[in-house]
Amino acid sequence: MSEQLKEKPQKADKKVKLPTDGSRAKEKAGRIKDPASTHVDEHVTHEDPTATMIPNTYQLGPYKPFPITVISFILKEEITNHLRDVQYDPHHSREMTLTLCEVIRSRVKELMIPRYKTVILVHIGQLNGQGMQISSRCLWDPNFDTFVSHSFKNKTLFCSATVYGIYYE
Amino acid sequence: MKFYLWAVFDATKGTCPSEQLRGLASLLNCFVSLQTTFIVEEVSKIIKDSVETVIGENSYKHGRVNQWTTSVVEQCLIQLSKLDKPFKFIVNCIIMQKNGAGLQTASTCCWDNTTDGSCTVRWENDTMYVIISVFGLAI
Repeated sequence: MSEQLKEKPQKADKKVKLPTDGSRAKEKAGRIKDPASTHVDEHVTHEDPTATMIPNTYQLGPYKPFPITVISFILKEEITNHLRDVQYDPHHSREMTLTLCEVIRSRVKELMIPRYKTVILVHIGQLNGQGMQISSRCLWDPNFDTFVSHSFKNKTLFCSATVYGIYYE
Repeated sequence: MKFYLWAVFDATKGTCPSEQLRGLASLLNCFVSLQTTFIVEEVSKIIKDSVETVIGENSYKHGRVNQWTTSVVEQCLIQLSKLDKPFKFIVNCIIMQKNGAGLQTASTCCWDNTTDGSCTVRWENDTMYVIISVFGLAI
């Protein structure tokens, strides 16, 4: 099975200057570098009681492809509904990222795409005139694996959400 | 990694003692699972080395950020593929200028908890924050 690198660079360049204070980035797991940070890394795992061991099927590829258009629509809808008139606030945005992640994950799970694992990434940031670059690269099988991404911006914040779909061989 | 396993072979009976066989089997199980699970410390070290090599003490420059993110991500992926594990990897890198602005990041996954894992490293210098997330999904 051939595996190639796939690049997805994204740029968020804002010119508006707003002298407000922000808060630290919050992560799912990893080393805490900043001693002044008050946010605790949360690593919550939910076990799915309906998950069972799948026996060998000897199937070469997915019967149903990853539905990019449907997921793109889900992302647009959820992000716009949650963030349309919201001001950036450190505590509120922290919960909002988690809420958005959970909501998008449950909607993608409802689609019941067989043999696909998903990874959902959500970034919400304040618009303060800073420069920023988000990029991502993957080592996967480009025939079956893919990603869907959506960005949103309002007066005080921006949001970038990505859903990766990885085929389980 | 090479492992050497010793077992006593009884030439008269033509068998190994059963306790030794059971011990060997469980040892083999451990080694096999080491090869197929996501080890966070190993990946974390790779990420930190990549960032320090590529960015080091450089100041944030808008024209160079694109090149930095590409290099960091590429370095990480090359080192991760050298681990020779049956994994698909997703590497995500954010470089943000230090400006007093806030950033929140979250991720959720729908995968197999026993074999898949993720590792996120936050790194900073005087002028920028760098956040790198690596997700490893077993084939």
